[in-house]
Amino acid sequence: MVESTPTNPTLAIDVRGARYVYPTGNVVALGGVDLQVAHGEIIGIIGQNGSGKTTLTKLFNGLLKPTAGTVIVNGVDTAKHSVQQMAAHVGYVFQNPNHQLFARTVRMELEFGPRNIGVPEDEITERVDEVVEFFGLQEFIEEHPYRVSFPVRKLVGIASIVAMRPPIIIFDEPSTGQDHNTTHIINGLMRRLRERGTTVVCVSHDMPLLADVVERVIVMKSTEVIADASPREVFADQALMARTNLQAPQVTQIALQTVVPLGGPVALTPAELAADIAQRRGKSARRGRTSSVAG
Amino acid sequence: MPEPIITFDNVTFTYPGTEEPALRDISFSIMPGEYVAVLGLNGAGKTTMGLCVNGVVPTMLGGDLTGTVTVGGLTVSDYPVREMSKLVGMVFDNPEFQMSQMSAAEEVALGLENAGVAYEDMKRIIPETLELVGLAGFEERSPLGLSGGQQQRLAIAAVLAMAPQILIMDEPTSNLDPIGKQEVFDMAAKLNRDRGMTVIVIEHEVEVMARYADRVIVLDQGRIVMNGTPQEIFSRVDDLAALKLRVPEAAELATILGTDYGLWKGPIPITTEPAVAEISELLGAKNG
Amino acid sequence: MSMQAAMPIAMIPGNSIIHRINPLAKLVWVVGYVILAFSTQNIVILYSMALFALLLAPIAGVTKPLLKGALILVPVGSSLLALQIIAPAVERPWTAVDQIGPLVLYGDGVYYGFVLLGRIVASLLMALIMVMTTHPSDLFTSFAKLKVPYTLNFMLAMTLQLIPVFQREVGIIMSAQKSRGMKGTGFSAVLPSFVPVFVGAIERVQQLSISLESRGFGSDGIKTSYRQVRGRASDWVVGIVGAVVLITLSVVAITKGTWSLANEITFSPLFVLITFLIAATLFAGVILAAIAFSFKK
Repeated sequence: MVESTPTNPTLAIDVRGARYVYPTGNVVALGGVDLQVAHGEIIGIIGQNGSGKTTLTKLFNGLLKPTAGTVIVNGVDTAKHSVQQMAAHVGYVFQNPNHQLFARTVRMELEFGPRNIGVPEDEITERVDEVVEFFGLQEFIEEHPYRVSFPVRKLVGIASIVAMRPPIIIFDEPSTGQDHNTTHIINGLMRRLRERGTTVVCVSHDMPLLADVVERVIVMKSTEVIADASPREVFADQALMARTNLQAPQVTQIALQTVVPLGGPVALTPAELAADIAQRRGKSARRGRTSSVAG
Repeated sequence: MPEPIITFDNVTFTYPGTEEPALRDISFSIMPGEYVAVLGLNGAGKTTMGLCVNGVVPTMLGGDLTGTVTVGGLTVSDYPVREMSKLVGMVFDNPEFQMSQMSAAEEVALGLENAGVAYEDMKRIIPETLELVGLAGFEERSPLGLSGGQQQRLAIAAVLAMAPQILIMDEPTSNLDPIGKQEVFDMAAKLNRDRGMTVIVIEHEVEVMARYADRVIVLDQGRIVMNGTPQEIFSRVDDLAALKLRVPEAAELATILGTDYGLWKGPIPITTEPAVAEISELLGAKNG
Repeated sequence: MSMQAAMPIAMIPGNSIIHRINPLAKLVWVVGYVILAFSTQNIVILYSMALFALLLAPIAGVTKPLLKGALILVPVGSSLLALQIIAPAVERPWTAVDQIGPLVLYGDGVYYGFVLLGRIVASLLMALIMVMTTHPSDLFTSFAKLKVPYTLNFMLAMTLQLIPVFQREVGIIMSAQKSRGMKGTGFSAVLPSFVPVFVGAIERVQQLSISLESRGFGSDGIKTSYRQVRGRASDWVVGIVGAVVLITLSVVAITKGTWSLANEITFSPLFVLITFLIAATLFAGVILAAIAFSFKK
């Protein structure tokens, strides 16, 4: 029932001059945003609450329609399609899985989305089996979604979207309320989705998470996009970080104060910075190992 | 030698209707004025441990508790929660779930009203408490119209008004944006430093805890597996990794430099500044 | 930018004479209005009451929101009048006054229709004025003084507080399900949203109850109140005058068997026709607008 005739197949998301003003008044939630995301990109959106992040992502799946400008997602104009129609093109993983889950079993939960978008029954089974495998949910498949632990419930929430096989998936604050272990699993999932060709958009306050997975960061402040660059460029821009009250990951801050002035990389992970430091020490490190390394 | 303000003595607790204990043979004590960080995976027993301190476990939630929890010289299970609340203030991860009143002033007033504090005293205490959490002048604002950080500070003010000696915060910033997180942690640090309040924070933000905490307690499957200074605990990068917990990136960096490259032999830094100083020296040693 | 959840009817802050009247005195008027409105069928009294309430609006500075709130009367009032004209709620025989196609218009129900409308208009306007000029907390503090049990009072206040919260929560949940392609009709469509709302409510209540217990809720000692609601001499006057006037009129009305003027007032066929046309047009307009709106969504 969803006709997908991509008008610009090269872009996953094409936002031009998009504004959003609340219908109840003159509060501008988004003021003139331009954004192009190619298929297969993995991007992060950062900014304080109220900067317009959520408004922007809600434009992507048509939950909000732009009051001016256009939002074309997977070649489909969101203004001309309902949220239900957009569901086949873009998946939206809400922050709190409790807002989403309702079925009696995990399996039924996973079947819900694909059935809604008109996937044939035998293919639904196949898709569910695949996401169960992908997410490692085998032991929970007949459980009630509210009987499994909160981290597993989060994974079920993500899996229920992935089962719809949308070419674009939005993650809203995937690490909120989750421990490091679960965050780590979600990180890996986003990376694997991207490897399958899915376009991934991740809205988050969790800078180490973004440093770890995304290749492009959109910075928002006061309803506008104020920067759009690689994580390295964004985290290295100390004026930008100060202006938005955001903090680069600790290891990036250490890199900025040590190896970056010497021409080193804006490291995003401890391993990366360690490798650079070791390389700089190079032979001298090996020579110095007997003398005075730990001065 | 001052007495501990909180003592857990061989505490084991099982929730009603479950088989597996949520806490297993927990023993530790906390001195007045300590800032304690509690780490652990979801389901490790962190929240349950916090609820034992103000008596919600077992008084309100039932279940089977053995061992004793002593707070301020009182055996917790002998007193109703509202009695313990004069000693222990507790706030949770979702500030909005803790709001029940039409205005900020009334939110703060609720506990005082229940305790029968006179109107004249409330008129003094409420603005003082709001000022303490940086919400001076917010008296008439609706709690639901505040930002997340402001709501959480209001929730804290609502318990502070009752002048507790202990503040327990259960993942107080997990629903907040970076500005909100900063506001809450700055405020907790101020209460601890300036007022000598005992602060217990259940938290995943290890970089922040490395900076503020005097002590770190690590729980795993209901047991205390580590208990020491942040320096002692966060230096054990591999042990924490085995527990699937995060460590400050500074500590991880130094550990990699030590084990993989043989470049780190001194103490493991847990905050940014010493890491920068050490690495600068390390790099300088090559140049010089 | 915090999104203030919009309350359908909320207090309009102000410092007018009406705002400053003690909530209980205002409550006397609202209750008195309702009693009088439902004990009489005298349209002169009913519409005088409505007019009096309307006159209070500019004094309190709530005219615009009051009229906005009173919009709810358009579908209710128009359907009520139109119905009374085509199917009067009085004993047959009915006198036909006109005919539009298959519809026969009768004059007998018109008076009763205006009585029903007058009751609703008068009571609603007074109630709205009270709600719009009284801080809910002051009202609940006053209830507490009347020895309404603390827990009941708290529950009432809390319910009022939770309406906008739940509105927002339902909005998020509907969004989440629509994003999964949820179709919009029947019970099976409601279920995906109903379960999460229910689960969220339980979670909220659990945390709130712990949070409240931790603040001494449920202690049986003497409770004090931060909100001080004063009862001045003028409040007593307002309350007593209201009670005396409204109760007296009610008693008179009841002794006179509702004091109906149905036999004194007759309506010309033209008046009935015009009333019907206006009411029917308004009602149809509301229905069409509602349908158009739901389609647009």
